[in-house]
Amino acid sequence: MFKVSLITRDGAAIAFDAEPSESLLDAAERSSIYLPSSCREGGCGACRVGREHGDVELLPYSSSALSDVERDSGDILLCRTQARSDLALRAPFDQAAVGFSPIPERQAVISEITPAGSGAVRLVLQYEDDAVFGRAAQFTAGQFVELSLPDGSVKRSYSLANTPNWDGTLEFYIRLQPNGAFSSYLKDRAALGDALLVRGPQGQFTADEASTAERWFVAGGTGLAPALSMLRQMAEFGDTRGCRLFFGVNRVDELFALDVIENLKNAMPQLIVATCVWKPETHWEDFVGTPAQALTRALTEAAERPDIYVCGPPPLIAATESAALAASVDHTRIFSERFTPA
Amino acid sequence: MFCYQCEQTYRSEEGAGCAGTKGMCGKDAATADLQDILLYACEGIGQILHRARRLGATDIEADRFIIFAFFTTLTNVNFNSMKFVELIQQASLTRDRVKALYERASYAACKYPETLSGAAAFVPAKDMSGLLAQAPEAAVRKGAESFGEDVVGLRALILYGLKGICAYAYHARVLGQERDAIYEAIEHALSVLARGESDISALLDEALAIGRANFVAMEALDAANTGTFGTPAPTSVRVTPVKGKAILVSGHDLKDLHAILEATKDKGINVYTHGELLPAHSYPKLKAYPHLVGNYGGAWQDQQKEFAEFPGPIVMTSNCLIEPQPRYRGRIFTAGPVDWAGVRHIANEDFSIVVQAAQALPGFAEDAPEKTITIGFSRDTVLGVADKVIDAVKAGAIRHFFLIGGCDGAAPGRNYYSEFADEAPKDSVILTIGCGKYRFNKHDFGTIGGLPRLLDMGQCSDAYSALVVATKLAEAFGVGVNELPLSLIVSWFEQKAAAVLLTLLALGVRNVRLGPTLPAFLTPTLVGVLVDKFGIQPISEAKADIEASLSRAA
Repeated sequence: MFKVSLITRDGAAIAFDAEPSESLLDAAERSSIYLPSSCREGGCGACRVGREHGDVELLPYSSSALSDVERDSGDILLCRTQARSDLALRAPFDQAAVGFSPIPERQAVISEITPAGSGAVRLVLQYEDDAVFGRAAQFTAGQFVELSLPDGSVKRSYSLANTPNWDGTLEFYIRLQPNGAFSSYLKDRAALGDALLVRGPQGQFTADEASTAERWFVAGGTGLAPALSMLRQMAEFGDTRGCRLFFGVNRVDELFALDVIENLKNAMPQLIVATCVWKPETHWEDFVGTPAQALTRALTEAAERPDIYVCGPPPLIAATESAALAASVDHTRIFSERFTPA
Repeated sequence: MFCYQCEQTYRSEEGAGCAGTKGMCGKDAATADLQDILLYACEGIGQILHRARRLGATDIEADRFIIFAFFTTLTNVNFNSMKFVELIQQASLTRDRVKALYERASYAACKYPETLSGAAAFVPAKDMSGLLAQAPEAAVRKGAESFGEDVVGLRALILYGLKGICAYAYHARVLGQERDAIYEAIEHALSVLARGESDISALLDEALAIGRANFVAMEALDAANTGTFGTPAPTSVRVTPVKGKAILVSGHDLKDLHAILEATKDKGINVYTHGELLPAHSYPKLKAYPHLVGNYGGAWQDQQKEFAEFPGPIVMTSNCLIEPQPRYRGRIFTAGPVDWAGVRHIANEDFSIVVQAAQALPGFAEDAPEKTITIGFSRDTVLGVADKVIDAVKAGAIRHFFLIGGCDGAAPGRNYYSEFADEAPKDSVILTIGCGKYRFNKHDFGTIGGLPRLLDMGQCSDAYSALVVATKLAEAFGVGVNELPLSLIVSWFEQKAAAVLLTLLALGVRNVRLGPTLPAFLTPTLVGVLVDKFGIQPISEAKADIEASLSRAA
């Protein structure tokens, strides 16, 4: 048994014991400490933390979740790391992102399922009334939940696109992966009234409320969902700070949620949107290229450095990060959530 | 940032004050700096209003703006930096308006208006970064090098006393009670601060003037509360949950509580008070709502644990808010002067969304075993039994009165107050006001001559009632208040307590023991003045202080 101590970004000390045979994430959860994580398979990077000292063994992981440079500087993925000595860790998240009670598990039924562009669906779930949680959908804009099929066989994490609400509504934009188990269900078998198990909310890809900088969102495909959630929340709160959305897809027919974006522009006149199509199959009036390219151009014209929130596939995250860093955005002001095909 | 306005300010051998990236209360540096700028802008408005008033011209909207603006800067009220950028722009517009008013009034009186410098001429930047660059001009310790720490400390005492008055005046105003005398005193004090007054005795006089004005503010609030909701009467209040949907209302604002009670009428939702709203249960017109079922939790510093466990929405109507934790951040709402970035703010007293939240959240699954406490010993109740009290004192059944009042806080030294209450002899009566009482108000103190030994007189503003009672009893005994067998054991945390303290000093009330620590802005010289001139004593050990209080009486 080893002692693990973790200091959060805001200086809180969290301590737990870890067996050499368990991941640090599991060890923490055994002590009722729920650290930010998502895929739990070394694929997403949501549980990446820094290591000040101590020895570890890293189980196989994806290099998109932890680069060699990051690993060599001491970073680890909590879900893929076992302790080999006492450890001192440094987290990139605040104590507020740490849960001290189990992540809620609730039932929700499908109330809407409609196409969203050529490659995705819009899924709406309705929480069932629950003695412990009521029917409220409580989460922080930008968070995700894990959905399980009715038979419990397949689990996938998806970001919420709507805002916390008292009706118990959860809205998602989900890309249909060829041969994906959850995607096949959504395409072929999902029916209104189906009950799914929802585990969440989870995740720390949420707006840094302490910052007063502009918020720029970079979204690739269904990575738009958490950006919509945060933007809708800003609209609801009457937030008047500058904000931009760089939304990108590969082809024009993949675009979706344009009506939602239009409504946001009406609610927040300060919102500037670039809808980017990488390889338009027809004439495209807005930006032709990737959202990271659109971001690069916008950053050269901006007077102040914004906070950047990026969600999408790993290459988009990497391109956004390098564009932002090249434009002198501090690396602590870039917030990312990568999604991995499954 | 530099802030030392509350009791929990950072203290070290080098000195006191929160000066890092965040204060002990959780307020970040930008918000602290912007609050200083807002107050400086208000000084400018006051500077002009004071002159206009001498010419017979007033602008009540400007006065109302000042009290609201000051209220937002109290400890644990408003943490939203963006809100302050907005308020500073409003302050600027207000200043321009009162300046025009003053100029018109001057010309009408065939005088040239003074060309004012300093705060009145301050032009705030339009955006956050510009404003933050202006922060040194508005810093609370500005001029320390030239005037010295005593002057800076006294100026701070006036500024913080003003915050206290403004909070009380705001609560009174929303219930329709305003006093010209309060506005006049605020304008005067702002004008004194704005002119950079550095004479110790002039500043001390101003602090006492603030104390007198605060008495008027507390009187106005008392008139507002009792005029709107009736005279408080002894009431048994449940302090354990009842099965069903639930809303928790915290802060001090009875009007907001009333609006929530109206909005939840016949909806099967129970309403609970938290912290300083406990006294609400003793007002007849609030008590009349059957779904005002009880009081939940302890004093403000326990909220992060208690709010997390409350199964419904929570509304903060005034201080004390501390950083909302993730477990309840989505179901806590702010109202009035309170704000936290990323937490939903309720404007215009429309609490319908809180009702929706209560219906969507689970509420309490079970009744907890019933426990109650008795509150509501308002001045009318106490004076109603004055004969009994006087007889009990004369017969020796009541040896002494202790008023243990003020704020609670997290500091370990605050155990003094519960120890004091528990150790006070059985032939003494304990009067209490404020949220400091949560340390002992569920203890059993027994009765004395048919009266409960612990008499809960209400919120911190009910210091007014306590003073009226003390004055009446003194009259009945034919002595001065300071000759009564009465000791005041005051715990302070934020700026309303500073205002109440100034009131006590201004009214010549001595025998005040103050703790758990003395305000960091008071220098040793100033503390010396308070001790010599007003008999203020820092607290020591509870037992020793009880003995000392009793021997004074003997």
